[in-house]
Amino acid sequence: MFEFISPLFLSLIVGGTMVGIIFGSIPGMTATMAVAVCLPLTYSLGLENGLALLLGLYVGGISGGLVPAILLGIPGTPSSITTTLDGHPMAQRGEGERALKIGIVASLAGGLISLLVLYLFAPALADFAIKFSYVEKFLIIFFALTVMAALSSDMLMGIFSGFLGIFIALIGSYDISDGGNGKYRLIPPGTEYWLDGGFSLLPVLIGLFGLAAILDQAELGVPKGHSANDVKVTKANKFSLSVFRGQKTNVVRSSLIGTFVGILPGVGGSAASILSYTNAKTFSKNPENFGKGEPAGIIASESGNNGLTGGALVPLLSLGIPGDSTTALLIGAFTLQGIQVGPLFIGNSPETWNAMIIAMLIANIAMFIMMYFAIRYFAKIVTVPKHLLFPIILMMCVIGAYTINYGIMFDVWTLLIFGIFGWVATKLRLEIAPFIIGFILGPSAEVYFVKSLESFGDLTIFVTKSWIAVVLWLLIIGSIAGSVMISRKSKTRA
Amino acid sequence: MNDLTKVSIDFEQSHLVFPRLIAVVLAILLIAIIIRDHKRILNALPYWKGVFQNMDKMRFLGALGVTLLYFSLMVPVGNIWPNTGSGFLICSIPFVLIIGLLFMHERPMRSVISLSIVSVVGPVSVWWLFTYPFFLTLP
Repeated sequence: MFEFISPLFLSLIVGGTMVGIIFGSIPGMTATMAVAVCLPLTYSLGLENGLALLLGLYVGGISGGLVPAILLGIPGTPSSITTTLDGHPMAQRGEGERALKIGIVASLAGGLISLLVLYLFAPALADFAIKFSYVEKFLIIFFALTVMAALSSDMLMGIFSGFLGIFIALIGSYDISDGGNGKYRLIPPGTEYWLDGGFSLLPVLIGLFGLAAILDQAELGVPKGHSANDVKVTKANKFSLSVFRGQKTNVVRSSLIGTFVGILPGVGGSAASILSYTNAKTFSKNPENFGKGEPAGIIASESGNNGLTGGALVPLLSLGIPGDSTTALLIGAFTLQGIQVGPLFIGNSPETWNAMIIAMLIANIAMFIMMYFAIRYFAKIVTVPKHLLFPIILMMCVIGAYTINYGIMFDVWTLLIFGIFGWVATKLRLEIAPFIIGFILGPSAEVYFVKSLESFGDLTIFVTKSWIAVVLWLLIIGSIAGSVMISRKSKTRA
Repeated sequence: MNDLTKVSIDFEQSHLVFPRLIAVVLAILLIAIIIRDHKRILNALPYWKGVFQNMDKMRFLGALGVTLLYFSLMVPVGNIWPNTGSGFLICSIPFVLIIGLLFMHERPMRSVISLSIVSVVGPVSVWWLFTYPFFLTLP
């Protein structure tokens, strides 16, 4: 049952977690970038070992963001945005080490609670989803897209970005292996050779999350790193677990909020930590202390963002829909090994499922041990000069793109095209997460939609097929109505 | 009413059904965006001028240009010694060095030496890792 556990498996988790923490600790570098850069390494590792590395990177990347958030007041990753609010004031009054350790313990709690939810919830959801026909599968994707767009910072742009992602994913031939007619569409004449299968997923992702991030930094002149003095880990007030007394509800609530946000497709860690933080503040007896160095604020933010890690894997492993951009990259790892994730995955690949759960568990424990006992050394990572890191990352991006289809140079150009697109897209206020989810789900959405119509010949089938379809429509309408209400409320407030 | 919802898909044309539908939705959304953001769209030119004025042109355009050159040269150089990954190796060393120098703020000898070491050790290690233990062909 646990044959996959080997010294290599364990060292990949620990190594991945360590590299993830390093990426998370450096502002401008994210867990997603870590996974994108290291993805080609999983080629020769096999699925379980490859996932061990990537999940370690994911957990480490999300957790590492708290280091600069607390010590510099700059979130290392977007998911640590609210950690700065109370973590940095604590560091400024000489409680840097205490703040870091509070964040580390909260991260562990968030990670483990979300892992438990993943373990219990994903198989049940997958069992349920097995019964879905093409109609329900299409509606699930439609629901995922509406939720994702509705929770974007700009709903209209979010929806547009999602549909643009779908449109670009349709470039190429209508795949015969999916029941299509094999004919080309949306491609300029003469480019059939390169665009036969459309743009490959991984070069697109690597471009959007690797190259675009570096172009962003280059545009800003690659901001100077920080000196060792900026990141001194002060310990005026020693850390003690007693700080968690009275915080159990906060930990569990924030972890579950993070997990729930993770389950929603396309919603990132920043939403998880912001929601957890605002809830902790609302329910706190001393809300006035939040933002001034209140440990409960760090606890909420960090247990919330680590809660995301398990949550985001729930829709991926049960429905084949990634919960966030990092889990979208994990699809790449499965694709590399020729495995399709979806409702049948857990039942058909129990070994891989167990390996993922064990890897997540070990990654969380490794993250805790490494960061708790070596936080002073990890703090120094913030000072690593970007002029050494960025060129190496760019080089790794090239390797990732080139090797993804066993040596196709067009994939490297795809990386460049989508790197530039990612940079331009943020300027045009397009939303990258909905774009990615649309891009990933577009081809499946097409097959489910067209095949449903070919089989039933009536549009009403999308409503009348089953009670599940009706429930899904209610959820779709609910999510659109909810988002319109939220957007109107925020407009009247402004 | 029943006839209105009836759809018959010709298999020969089935590859166009979904792209057309998505194109229509995109067009509607684009119109909505134009109506809502027409002021912003009309100010696009000054906005982009501002972006280019405020950017670090040397680093941004330099990085883009060097990357373009790196991608363009990799295959022709690799074709000189086919199937050895030498295109990647030979192009990556100067690429890492130039991008590193471009992104540096001050260039004291110590930093340049450490960058030079990284620009040789990095690509050589990655090339070795992918060529031997992983058996993956690089350009």
